[in-house]
Amino acid sequence: MAKLIEEAAQAKNWGVEFAEPKVDLNKLRGWKESVVKRLTAGLGQLAKQRSVQFVSGKAAFVNSTTLKVTKTAAGGEENMTFDRIVIATGSRPSVIPSLKLDSPRMMDSTSALDLPDIPKTLLVIGGGYIGLELGSVYATLGTKVTCVEMLSGLLPGADRDLVLPLHKRLEKLFSSIMLNTTVKSLKEEKTGIRVAFDGPDVKEKEQVFDRVLMSVGRRPNSEIPGLDKTKVKVNQKGFIEINAQRQTADPSIYAIGDVAGEPMLAHKAMHEGRTAVEAIAGHKVAFEPNAIPAVVFTDPEIAWAGLTETQAKEQGRAISVAKFPWGASGRAITLDRPEGLTKLLIDPKTERVLGVGIVGPGAGELIAEGVLAIEMCALAADVGMTIHPHPTLSETMMESAEVFYGHATDIYRPKKT
Amino acid sequence: MATEFKLPELGENIETGDLVRLMISAGTSVTEGQPVMELETDKAVIEVPSSVSGTVGEIRVKEGDKLRVGQVIFTVENGAGSVAAQRSEAAPVPPKAPPATPTPAVVSRIEATAVPSTPASGASEFKLPELGENIDSGDLVRLMIAPGARVSEGQPVMELETDKAVVEVPSSVNGVVREIKVKEGEKVKVGQVIFTLEGGAVAPAEPPRKHEPVEHISGQQAARLAFRMAMQAEGKTEEQALPPDQPFAAPPAFTMPVQLGKVAGTEHRDPVPAAPSVRRLARELGVDIHSIQGSGPGGRISDDDVKLHAKNMLAAAVAAGQAPAAGHFAEPDLPDFTKWGKIERVSMRGVRRKTAEHLRQAWNTIPHVTQQDRADITELEQLRAKFAPRAEEAGGKMTVTAIALKVCASALKVFPQFNASIDMGKEEIIYKQYINIGVAVDTDRGLLVPVIRDVDKKNIVELAAELTQLSKKARDRKLTPEEMGGGTFTITNLGGIGGTGFSPIVNHPEVAILGLSRSRMEPEWVNSKFEPRLILPLSLSYDHRLIDGADAARFLRWIAEAFEQPFLLSVQG
Repeated sequence: MAKLIEEAAQAKNWGVEFAEPKVDLNKLRGWKESVVKRLTAGLGQLAKQRSVQFVSGKAAFVNSTTLKVTKTAAGGEENMTFDRIVIATGSRPSVIPSLKLDSPRMMDSTSALDLPDIPKTLLVIGGGYIGLELGSVYATLGTKVTCVEMLSGLLPGADRDLVLPLHKRLEKLFSSIMLNTTVKSLKEEKTGIRVAFDGPDVKEKEQVFDRVLMSVGRRPNSEIPGLDKTKVKVNQKGFIEINAQRQTADPSIYAIGDVAGEPMLAHKAMHEGRTAVEAIAGHKVAFEPNAIPAVVFTDPEIAWAGLTETQAKEQGRAISVAKFPWGASGRAITLDRPEGLTKLLIDPKTERVLGVGIVGPGAGELIAEGVLAIEMCALAADVGMTIHPHPTLSETMMESAEVFYGHATDIYRPKKT
Repeated sequence: MATEFKLPELGENIETGDLVRLMISAGTSVTEGQPVMELETDKAVIEVPSSVSGTVGEIRVKEGDKLRVGQVIFTVENGAGSVAAQRSEAAPVPPKAPPATPTPAVVSRIEATAVPSTPASGASEFKLPELGENIDSGDLVRLMIAPGARVSEGQPVMELETDKAVVEVPSSVNGVVREIKVKEGEKVKVGQVIFTLEGGAVAPAEPPRKHEPVEHISGQQAARLAFRMAMQAEGKTEEQALPPDQPFAAPPAFTMPVQLGKVAGTEHRDPVPAAPSVRRLARELGVDIHSIQGSGPGGRISDDDVKLHAKNMLAAAVAAGQAPAAGHFAEPDLPDFTKWGKIERVSMRGVRRKTAEHLRQAWNTIPHVTQQDRADITELEQLRAKFAPRAEEAGGKMTVTAIALKVCASALKVFPQFNASIDMGKEEIIYKQYINIGVAVDTDRGLLVPVIRDVDKKNIVELAAELTQLSKKARDRKLTPEEMGGGTFTITNLGGIGGTGFSPIVNHPEVAILGLSRSRMEPEWVNSKFEPRLILPLSLSYDHRLIDGADAARFLRWIAEAFEQPFLLSVQG
């Protein structure tokens, strides 16, 4: 939706001009809810078909093999015993205690998704992927968005060259991006929330916002009642400790997903769930992916998998980086998005693809090929010699591989000597 | 009228198979019992016999197809004979293979519903029902009933620990327990009476529902099958060869989740150059994928690399007579000897340690057999005494060992497989076209084996001289490593000390060793009377992987005869 509005606006450059869009927030919310409903209802149906019993209630551990369940729907309590259990309690948005403010103007990622209204101004605290994704949505809908990040760059941890095109675009989309800045206090006033900032580059020390979105990360939901009656261990960060089979220190208890550790990504959790269940069924399995893709669904999207340049630097590992800027991609030019970039991180000795990073529209879709390349231990030559459809953005994978060998068609890089 | 031949039942849990080979074509005639195709199931490749006779009309399947039991294979014109319904007597019974379905290690409740409730009068007792494939007994962990208690069908009556899992066994009978015939802690066998009833309806215990086979024949599966077959060919079940991990018994030393950005709970190692399916295969075979050297581009590890590695591991483990663990084999812990008296610990350096390592490795790798024989060297002894001065002139001593060198060199030419090595990794036999024989020399530092080169090209006097010289060097600690390398066969003579025979250990990577014991006068039955003859006991140890017993007997007999009739050497050697 945000993408559509963006593209419609951009179409001016291509000779097509639309009137300012009108957003019917109720319809938009309705559509979002219908999608969510369809996806979750499907899940219940699947469980039913597989005769999985579904109990809705609050649970507390009695011991390693018993759960006391207070049923939500049916009412009453029941002690349920089990041979094995999989904990998948997920995570919730973190709150900075000093900035806790009980106000309807305060939002976290969950309430922001409810789209209560389109505020005039919005402060996004935290320049991570959640803040940027939601901030982008509101900004496209017409909200003046300000983003404040404590560190020196958006999306800490991601490679800077991937973040740069997004940063440039967000600078236009958002009314301001404040880096190296912390929020000192939040105070509710009649007209909004008064926010005090602190940082070397801060111009206005205080500003008032209609709404504030707190997106400073997520905390694992490991405070499970009665967990202390089992042998499960929880580490300092609040994650349940697990082994490669996703088994906790208590042999009958397994844990998967956000509660079991980074990265907190749904697709990681799904594979972990499979591993745990197969381990329980007696198969010899282990959760040992070579790459877990990470995608930031902003515009442009950022996606990476496997080794990143930042990690390689930290590890002091020698790598070759082959970059293909989308300015040389025909497809990117027709899309008027030449700011994108595809890069491969290649082991200089074996020529294996160890990591892939992409920024640009559709990066989230494109990264899948990168994940496959890493998991299948493809060499740069394998990627380069694989025929990709023309003209598509997927060619940028192939072209980056050719950059590594110094003979990409659409870009000239002198051969390495 | 056309009759259809459908894929008959092939055995327990076999519902499908891959058609490997069709042995018929349209228009050929088949008779009942005649094999018509080869089918690869997940247990074995089996020949499927026809249950119909007639002329084949239409063949409805093709090679490579996956066939299901009951599927029509071909039609028969003017067909006679029974229609596929039952399995022909001639049908080969698929070999009993280890269960294809991994038995869940999870505590499983045996399906109570699987026991049909057909009440029958008569025996009013409960016998231990079948618990699953390959489980014929278990330890009774807990009894859940007592005399006088009422049991009903499906009610768990005891917990049984089999070697796969602890299972709850449900009753298949209704009634009141009269007498319990087993005690906790006892081993209970399938079919054994557990308790008797005071009257009441009884349903005969029937085997519970078997595990459904996993419907999944992928390349992976095929690889596992191939591996399993290879294991079986080596006389091991997969279970023995690769005992399953026991992830649940005791969680191993707990590994902390790694730092942010990495995958929690998964030991962080460099991404291994193997596709996910290959990594899974390695896990299933119990191989640490990180220890495998990939043969593909960029060190990529293929499934063949994994299988080869597993096979090598297995070969080493089998030789060691131990079940393979992933990695090295630890020596068992020693007791504290000081409990029983004073001890002295001396470091085992140099020759002794080298000998220990080498011999253990040889013993672990080579399946040894020792063949015994005796040679009548009465004549040879006379010749030896006669030619001794000549050897002395050349600076050597005409010993039995020197003569044995010549005899063995000749024998090795006749029997080249004794002058070989085995390359298990490449599955090749290496025949050496040179004959270098090592001679075990007892020195004050331990056993040394100098090697005499090109023995076949030297005469006995030369050999005697060289042997004397090398033995002296060995005792004077002047042997170079080169002088101890490159042997193709070894002779060890304990005759100087005594003994009537022994089992020498093959000097790996050689494949045979000849041991000589003390020769002595013995009464021999010659020409209808006993004669005193000088008899030399011979002990030949050999690597049974390469050398068959009959060959070893022939080889040693050849040597014995060469000793008896030295002339043979010039004729055949």
